[in-house]
Parts: sequence; structure tokens; C-alpha cells
Amino acid sequence: MEYAYLAAGLGAGLSMIGAGIGIGIIGRSAMEGTARQPEASGDIRTSMIISAGLIEGATFFALAICILLAIK
Amino acid sequence: MQAAVRLFLLSLVILTVGAAPVFSADPDANPKRIDMLGKISDHNYLDFKPAGKIELPRILRHDGQWIFYSSTTAALNSGDGWTDEYYIAHPDTVIYKEDGATIAPVSYELVRADGTKPSFDASITSHLVWFAISGFLVLLIFGRLASKYNTTSRDGLVARGTFMNLFESLVIFVRDDIAKANIGEEKYMKYAPYLLSAFFMILFMNLFGLMPWGVTSTADVMITAVLALFTFSITQLAGSREYWKHVFMMPGVPKLMLIIITPVEILGLFTKPFALTVRLFANMVSGKLLVYSIIGMIFLFAEMFGDWAGIGSAAIWVPFTLFIYAIKIFASFLQAYIFTMFSALFIGLAAADHDHEHEHQHAH
Repeated sequence: MEYAYLAAGLGAGLSMIGAGIGIGIIGRSAMEGTARQPEASGDIRTSMIISAGLIEGATFFALAICILLAIK
Repeated sequence: MQAAVRLFLLSLVILTVGAAPVFSADPDANPKRIDMLGKISDHNYLDFKPAGKIELPRILRHDGQWIFYSSTTAALNSGDGWTDEYYIAHPDTVIYKEDGATIAPVSYELVRADGTKPSFDASITSHLVWFAISGFLVLLIFGRLASKYNTTSRDGLVARGTFMNLFESLVIFVRDDIAKANIGEEKYMKYAPYLLSAFFMILFMNLFGLMPWGVTSTADVMITAVLALFTFSITQLAGSREYWKHVFMMPGVPKLMLIIITPVEILGLFTKPFALTVRLFANMVSGKLLVYSIIGMIFLFAEMFGDWAGIGSAAIWVPFTLFIYAIKIFASFLQAYIFTMFSALFIGLAAADHDHEHEHQHAH
């Protein structure tokens, strides 16, 4: 039973690593894109937020599983 | 600077070692403990701390009939057999009931004497009250704004004064950068009213949570679920033929693959509103918890090293809290924007018709 808490904590941390790397890559690419083409910054920002939001959504599924493990 | 970083790291170590007694779950174990979850959860009263509480009506279903009380105190004193859960857990609490005196609720959980709860609790709660206030505020502000355009600016649609300029900039932002950009030129006017209402209601609910005595309604998963349900319904109603074809019969895919793709697509219909629900809810709860955690460090220091350490360390934690608070103001706007933008994106994807289809086939 106590392993469930361990799994929940590890799972939350691991999913955060994945989401952090993903959103970091998006941020880097968006900054590079804006630096190359400042006139497209508006479109780049919108697509950046959309992709970051989609990653966030996938992370929330992982976190929901972790919460289910922790409160079961 | 380095000293500040070191102090911060030290405090993190102390938090992990010493958090247990202060944040313990049992209220009797430590009277000084901070009820963090109580601060973000739903209540049957509005708390105006030094001035007192306003109790909200209780609507219960018990034994197959609806029962209505004007407040929790009224329910306890009605003689219908309701008790506060606290009095059952602590049977030796003395309940004074002399002439004029009434039984006061403690936990606000109404139970029968044998501990059973009402079968359905539809009571009005603090989150619901602030949800309704935000809704009425949106109606009030934008009804007034619309009538002002009809009366004050006869020479075309020109904004006059602070009130009109303030809201016009936000309305134009939602209309052009959210609705038009994601739904498209021809169809955005049909969905702009919903997107504007959602944006401003979420924004007001988020900002009310930052006011003194305010409650963040969006930190309640039921409220965000209802908002996402609206987006879900509108997305399905907006769905064009192509949209449903993409869900059930993805064009350009081998027939055998449809066995896998169609269930995934159908699941995808429901994961979108789920992600909307959880995103808004988790962001608002975590912001609120962060503020209480950092303010709680003062009490943690007072617990560990004595009262003066707590008072002294407040010089660090209060600016920290103010910083988080500023981020929360930004996040209130950002989360309202993200919720509305994803709603517009989903509606736009569902409503896209033939033009989009042709592009799609050229791409293949």
C-alpha cells in the first residue's frame, strides 16, 4: 500500500520532467523563430501557447493517475 | 544575495523536515495548524473574518423529499433531527440551549443523530455565490456597455470615456485574436458571444479570488467542469459533416486502421473538455496553495524557532507572497485567455468545412 504513495510521487515528478523538457523545447523554438522573424511574433506566440497547452493537457492526465494512486 | 539564496534553501530543508506537525491533518493534534485545504474548499458560508460569517441557505434531499432551510443554524435548530458532524465526533461538547440561545454549527456538515448524511445536498455554497456574482457582473457590465454604444456615440461606434475604452480593448482582443483567429472570418460572429461570456466570467472569478474575503470559484472542479461542458456542447453542435466524418471515418486511412483510430477519435472528443477542466482548476488551486504555503512559512518558523523568528522571517515571506500575488494577477488573465482560446480552437476545428477539406486532400 505504501508503495502506491511512492509511485504517485515518482510519477508526478517524472511527468513533470517530461512536460518541462517539452515546454522548454517549445519556448526555445519560439524564441528562435521570433528572433529570426520578429514580424511573425504574434502567430508564433499563439502556436506556442497552443502546443504548450496540449503538453499541459497530457501532463494533467499523468497527474490525475498520480492523484488516484495517492488517494485510493 | 547569496545569503538570501542560502536562507531560502535552508528553509526548504526545514520545510521538509518540520512540516509534519504544523500541517498535520488532525485538528486536535496542533491547535496552531494551518487549514490549507479548508481555505480552498467550498463552504456553506461566506467568511468575512473579523466581522463574522454569512450563512447560506441549505437545500437537502432526505427521505425522498426536498427540505429547505435559510441557514445551517436554522437547520440545526429546526428540530428536524439534524446535528452538526462535529457534535457527533465530540460527544462531550456542551451544547447550550437556553432561552434565546441557539446551537451553532462548527463543521457545517449536517448529519442525523446516527451519523448518516442527507442523500443529496444541493445547498448554495460560497463558490456558487461568487460564480453567480461574476455572471451577473458580466450581464450588468456588458448590457450597459452595449446600451452606451447605442446612446452616447451617434457618430459610428466610437468608445467614449474610461469605462467604454477599458472594456472595448478587451472585447476587441477576444473577438479578433481569439474568435476570428481560431474560428475563421465567416463563422466567428456566431460563437463570439459565448467566448466573450466565458472569458469575462472566468476572468472575474479568478480576480475575485484575489480580493480580500473573495473566493476563487474556478478553484472548484465542478465549476470548471460546467464551463468545459458548455464548450463541449457547443463544439458538438458546431460540428460540420466533415468533422463527424473525421471522427468516425477518417478519410485517407486504410479500413483496417479505422478499428484503432475511431475509438481514439471518440475518446479524443471527451479528453478535450477534460483537459480544459483540469487545466483551469489545477492552475487556480496551485496558485492559491502557493500563497498559503509561503505565508505558512512564517508560522512554521514561529513553531520551530520561537515567535520572534517567525516575526523576523516575515520580512522575507511577505515580499515573496506579494511576488506570487502579482504572478496570480497575470495568471488570472492568462488562464481566462487559454480557456477561451482552446474553446475557440475546438469550435473552429469542428466548424471548419469544405475549404479546409480541400486543403487537407492537397496536403496528402
